[in-house]
Amino acid sequence: MPDASPTPAPAKPAFVVGVPREIHAEERRVAATPATVKALRKLDIEVDVEAGAGEAASYTDAQYAEAGARIVPSAEQAWAADLVLKVRPPEARPDGTHEADLLEPGARLVGFIWPAQNQELVQRLAARKATVLAMDCMPRITRAQRMDALSAMANIAGYRAIIEATNHFGRFMPGQITAAGRVAPAQVLVVGAGVAGLAAVAAARSLGAVVKAFDTRPAVREQVESLGAQFLEFRFDESGEGEGGYAKQVSDAYLAAEQALLTQHAKTSDIIVTTALIPGKPAPQLITSGAVVAMGSGSVIVDLAAEQGGNCALTEPGKVVDKFGVTIVGLTDLPSRMARQSSDLYATTVLNLVTDVAKPGAGWKLDLEDEIHRGVLVLLEGELKWPPPSRPQPRAGAPVAPATPAAEKAAPPAPPKGMGFAAKALLGGIAALLLLAGLFGPPSFVQHLTVFLLACVVGWHVVWDVTPALHTPLMSVTNAISGIIVLGGMVVLQGAFSGPVAVALGAAAVLLAAVNVAGGFLVTQRMLRMFRR
Amino acid sequence: MTEAVRSVAYLVAALLFIGSLRGLSTQETARRGNLMGIVGMALAIVATLVVVLMRLSESGAVAGRGALLGVVIALGAVIGAALAARVAMTAMPELVAILHSFVGAAAVLVGVATYLDAGGEASHGVVHLLEIYIGVLVGAVTFSGSVVAFAKLRGMVGSKPLLLPGRHLLNGGIVLACVTLAIVFIRAPGHEGLSPLLVQTGLALALGVLLVAAIGGGDMPVVVSLLNSYSGWAASAAGFMLENDLLIVTGALVGSSGAILSAIMCRAMNRSIWNVVFGGFGAEAPKGGKAAASQADLPVHEASAEQVAQLLLAARSVIVVPGYGMAVAQAQHPVQELSSALRARGTNVRFAIHPVAGRLPGHMNVLLAEANVSYEIVEEMDEINGDFPTTDVVLVIGANDIVNPSALDDAESPIYGMPVLEVWKASRVVMLKRGMAAGYAGVENPLCWRPNTLMLFGDAKKSVQALLDGVREG
Repeated sequence: MPDASPTPAPAKPAFVVGVPREIHAEERRVAATPATVKALRKLDIEVDVEAGAGEAASYTDAQYAEAGARIVPSAEQAWAADLVLKVRPPEARPDGTHEADLLEPGARLVGFIWPAQNQELVQRLAARKATVLAMDCMPRITRAQRMDALSAMANIAGYRAIIEATNHFGRFMPGQITAAGRVAPAQVLVVGAGVAGLAAVAAARSLGAVVKAFDTRPAVREQVESLGAQFLEFRFDESGEGEGGYAKQVSDAYLAAEQALLTQHAKTSDIIVTTALIPGKPAPQLITSGAVVAMGSGSVIVDLAAEQGGNCALTEPGKVVDKFGVTIVGLTDLPSRMARQSSDLYATTVLNLVTDVAKPGAGWKLDLEDEIHRGVLVLLEGELKWPPPSRPQPRAGAPVAPATPAAEKAAPPAPPKGMGFAAKALLGGIAALLLLAGLFGPPSFVQHLTVFLLACVVGWHVVWDVTPALHTPLMSVTNAISGIIVLGGMVVLQGAFSGPVAVALGAAAVLLAAVNVAGGFLVTQRMLRMFRR
Repeated sequence: MTEAVRSVAYLVAALLFIGSLRGLSTQETARRGNLMGIVGMALAIVATLVVVLMRLSESGAVAGRGALLGVVIALGAVIGAALAARVAMTAMPELVAILHSFVGAAAVLVGVATYLDAGGEASHGVVHLLEIYIGVLVGAVTFSGSVVAFAKLRGMVGSKPLLLPGRHLLNGGIVLACVTLAIVFIRAPGHEGLSPLLVQTGLALALGVLLVAAIGGGDMPVVVSLLNSYSGWAASAAGFMLENDLLIVTGALVGSSGAILSAIMCRAMNRSIWNVVFGGFGAEAPKGGKAAASQADLPVHEASAEQVAQLLLAARSVIVVPGYGMAVAQAQHPVQELSSALRARGTNVRFAIHPVAGRLPGHMNVLLAEANVSYEIVEEMDEINGDFPTTDVVLVIGANDIVNPSALDDAESPIYGMPVLEVWKASRVVMLKRGMAAGYAGVENPLCWRPNTLMLFGDAKKSVQALLDGVREG
């Protein structure tokens, strides 16, 4: 498959993807599964899998071979590819060499890189003139969701955190009333309601615990409550919502206020799961040692931020420790403990990114204008491209209602060019009308005009957010309401001097309008009665 | 004293109307909204009735006119109730259109009667005369426009736009004539202005016919909503001439909310309101550009009901896209039964509603609600468009333009740029159609020739019934 990019690619007959075995201690995941290998083979991409790469994730070499991969005996051979798929960042090997140095000059690497924390590694890869895409730098946009490895892993970590916690927690999760006494339900506090936090909330709820969740972003309250947990209110005049949907780092005073709130809630919590991360920065220390002491003996803290320094002051990354009778789980390999599941999900996100960059038939083609490609790109042929230039983030929210002409009078003038012009003309017309009315009109007319224009504005605002499903009922109810013209007919009938013709016309008007009123309201009622949940 | 009480009643009624429109925005509050409207209307009518009867008793004419009032209100209410109770949900667009015409007619009658009512007293002021004139004009356009819309929806006249040569000139001429007549009308002494007023009414009626006749069937939802807006303006104009604030407020509420509704719909179709009103869309390019020409020799894959039933049984996710054809065939009940039968088997069945499906905005939602389809599985275009690629079977029931891929990929197609349901991304599309005719917009649909599209010809109700039998046996 010819490489269509301007990259001086090594002249090879075929594009080869290499999948080495992960060497990090306790790492059981693998960056490609038989399913994703099969998908790559369909695109005419050759896949070299190091022998035993999938073993810890319960995938045998035979399964890879069956999917079309070539099993290579050594790591060196797996690394000697056009594109290497990894889970963990490359690291020093037991024999003293470094994984990054196994990469062919000019080759490509996809995996977790954490460029902010691993400056040295990035330099090492730059020396290899490598092109490096970091799964951890995936922009949080809708189109990128299928490539969002962090969310996929966080989901697993959140679930597993509760499983680990219950394992170390010597009591029931749900409350029970038994013949042998009453059991109170476990009180779980989840700090940080991102993907991992929400997964933990859901897992804890389904085990029967009483769950509270804390997050600095008020926007996630709804998500927390939708999972049946209580959202801890935190008021401070500085919102924690950062660019691109990640929490941002907050000021010292803010942090102190958070710590105080959490210490207070720690007293009544049996299990605390912390998931607070700030991209590119050490994790905020939210659970002070004071808070740990305040928790009862036998309580459990699971710190999902352990690898980034931990949200708890007493966390020891990679270990389970006992402090003041509280078990603090600082394991950094929670997704890896569900290796099969996390490999499946991770490999799929990697495959989705690879096929987005190397579109079928087009070869490897990075598009620097593409938000996803630009976002994950750390090194381009050795040149540092990280961090990507920040883009203006369109905030989700109610779009501003564009000016649209409201008053389509019966005979509008010749069609103007566009809405903007029409709106301006309309405004000008109204202004001129007001001026004329003010100068020459009788006072009562001006008064009526005021009422009229105010009512127009109210009508304008009232219906903007109507659900499309209700368009028909809305129309029939407004139709019934416009039957208010019945009053006009009645007033005509009242006139002292009305001749028989006027009376007849008035009566006809009342009749028609009454049909409208009764028909409109009743048919609306009939329709609405049919809508049901 | 009575006047003050009436004013308070009017104020409360106006507030209730605002609450009513607001309430109709969401499912949860809709029924309360309707109730508020009813209470407001009852309040307004009773308050006015009391004042009118008191005035009449002062002038000694209470017996005759009071009885007349009572009779016509009661008669109107009975007729309206009968209409509302008996109309089929599929005929809802027609009913709404004809009711709009009543408001227009009432506005004309009130205007003329008000003019006659001067009773030889000091002549009306210029402003008052203008109010009458404009009120009658708007009322007449609303009336005749709604009648034409009714006839088109009913199928009494063709849905094809009627495009007279030089119609813009003709319309312009009518407007100009109306303006000239206004001057004659205002200058006329005593009651002599009646003839220019009546001539103007005739012209305005003609204008209403011309305007609506020129609009193609596919745009009917927007037209009905625009006429709804006009009927509000007509009521408001009557309020000006009678110096009745409640009429002004209510009319303006209805007028501007109707205009917004039209604007919302136009946006859903990616068109400007001017384009709808003046475009004569649908007749200028009856064939779908290049796509149609190249498809003549492509095969159409026809399927039997049994085959489609097998597909449905094997599918895990199904999306139903209903269109006007479902309404015409009254197929909503069998469609609901089919969806429940499949859901009972564990199939994920959902409904996708295009904003302009049917002949009235929200038409499909009303029909599905009538058939007891839970609105939680009824999704809007934006919510569901991303789900088609992961859907096994899409059932397109009597819909055409809203699933037309040319809207996205054929720049020559007249519906190019309109957002559509991207059903062709699903593994299989089954189109239930009567024949190979083009849609209401008169545009060929290349979807019929796609390799993953199966055609199931026949009346929608019978076809769906056959599918239902097939699914139940399977």
